[in-house]
Amino acid sequence: MGVKRRERLSVAIITAITLVMLFIALFPLFYMMIQSFAPGTEVNRRLIPSTLTLANYAYLLDSAGSNPLKWVRSLLNSFIVCVPTGLASVFIGVTMGYALTKLKNFRGKKLIIDSLLFQMFFPTIMLLVPKYMILRGLANSYPGMILPFSVSVWAIFMYNNFYRTLPDEVFEAAKVDGAGHWRSIWNIALPSTQAVTVIVFLTVFMNRWNELMWDMVISPNVNFQTLNVLITTNINVMRDLQGPLYAASCVLIMPIILLFLCCSRYFKEGINFMLK
Amino acid sequence: MQAKGIVGRRAGTLKAKRRESGLGWFFCSPYLLYTLILFLLPLIWAVWLATMDWNLISADKTFVGIGNFTNLFSDKGMLNAFLNAFKYLFLIVVFSSVFGITIALLVDKVPSRIQGITSVLFFVPYLTSGVATSVVVKYFFAYNSFFNTFLREKLNLNIGWFTNDTAAFWVIVIIIVWKLSGYYALFYLASIKNIPIEVKEAARLDGASWWTNLTRITLPMILPTINTVVALATGLSFRIYTEPYLLTAGSPGTTTWLVEIYHITFTKFKSGYGTAMSLLFAVQMFLVLRLINSGMNKLMEKFGY
Repeated sequence: MGVKRRERLSVAIITAITLVMLFIALFPLFYMMIQSFAPGTEVNRRLIPSTLTLANYAYLLDSAGSNPLKWVRSLLNSFIVCVPTGLASVFIGVTMGYALTKLKNFRGKKLIIDSLLFQMFFPTIMLLVPKYMILRGLANSYPGMILPFSVSVWAIFMYNNFYRTLPDEVFEAAKVDGAGHWRSIWNIALPSTQAVTVIVFLTVFMNRWNELMWDMVISPNVNFQTLNVLITTNINVMRDLQGPLYAASCVLIMPIILLFLCCSRYFKEGINFMLK
Repeated sequence: MQAKGIVGRRAGTLKAKRRESGLGWFFCSPYLLYTLILFLLPLIWAVWLATMDWNLISADKTFVGIGNFTNLFSDKGMLNAFLNAFKYLFLIVVFSSVFGITIALLVDKVPSRIQGITSVLFFVPYLTSGVATSVVVKYFFAYNSFFNTFLREKLNLNIGWFTNDTAAFWVIVIIIVWKLSGYYALFYLASIKNIPIEVKEAARLDGASWWTNLTRITLPMILPTINTVVALATGLSFRIYTEPYLLTAGSPGTTTWLVEIYHITFTKFKSGYGTAMSLLFAVQMFLVLRLINSGMNKLMEKFGY
């Protein structure tokens, strides 16, 4: 009895410590959220604002000024850029992973896998200027922001490793039943990789969403800026408008957090897999 | 008759093999195109550009040979970035591992009902854009924020958080560690869960203390994961950009390679020089990664991996 009670007590203490740490970890985000609802004069002047208001969010929706709706447009831009990037990297990962593992007579696959490995550990920052030179024609356009991110070497690797764990027999059986390669991919490969697909899509989506340097370089025009870039270019300009900046930051992080929380059940499988 | 059949079948399979190879290359074509246009071509271009003096716009480029590289060694910004890279690397790798393991150990002991949700919530900082955290931090530590006013009036502490280089450096380190710890905790937690129950059970029967348990069983058992995480954190610490760019605009004590490269190339328009700088950066990164990797491998060998 004594042992059990002691055990229960230690679990309670550990839980308490964990929750305190969790609160500390999330405090900056709580703070951001609370301040985004504070009246203009109180932002960062008080920990808890005296009243809550939506004025900061209303400011972002305000259509007055030299560039009406630039905040709304930048949020849309973020989605317009990130969704195709995520989908493309999933599509390329699925088809390539299939080709590299399930096409037994594919000559040259060794070469491709080696090139993947090489690129994965290559410091791509070296290529920034020449990449910019090549894609300069696409400046201030969505393709200029989508194309360089839509092939994710990491995503291809994830699929390649995952398909290797899928038994070949299933695919051979499908072939005997007369399924073509596209049908095998669509009906067998894709459904069995759900967890990997969710993780790949979300990770690529998030990295694209939070990208800063490339977007600043390739899209200086405010009409094509993502929300991430628009906040960056305004962080010093809006020194006296901290409330709207906090509100914009909340809008910036919310979609990613919600997406990940909705899909959190896939994580365990995915992390376990990434460790292999 | 029979021989002809075999030959025919062989020709058929050969054709099928060819078709499969063709299909393989077809499936890989987006990747190959990408590699050609956005990897190989820029790679050759980068080497050529590093020997040039060119402002990104004008038609005339001047060949300067290794001039860009010799200039680099007397460049203050580059020297700062080089030294800061080691400081960031050490602190971020150590602290994010320690906090990651601590969080994982704690979450592992929490009642299983709330385990999933707590581990996921610890991971939320990893998802937040560096821009959003920089906004919060920049104004939280601003001169007339309630926090700084409190420090000044109540504790008589007057800290210019972003003008004082040491303070700014630590603020950035804390932001990055805050961002990474919960994410790495997920890896450690998965790894701790994979420790065979027999091992834990045996340790418990032997009456092993909490500390022996940690240093003799848990840490050695999760060493491969520590290895993975150290490699990930090393890569990330070299890529710090958003926070110093937004918070200090790359002051000597906080600047990083990426900030310097961006600054040289896109605000000073010295594209050749910037590229030479990034080549040197790549060399440092490669060597440090190799060094850490071989060190970790030695440690792994010692524990029988």
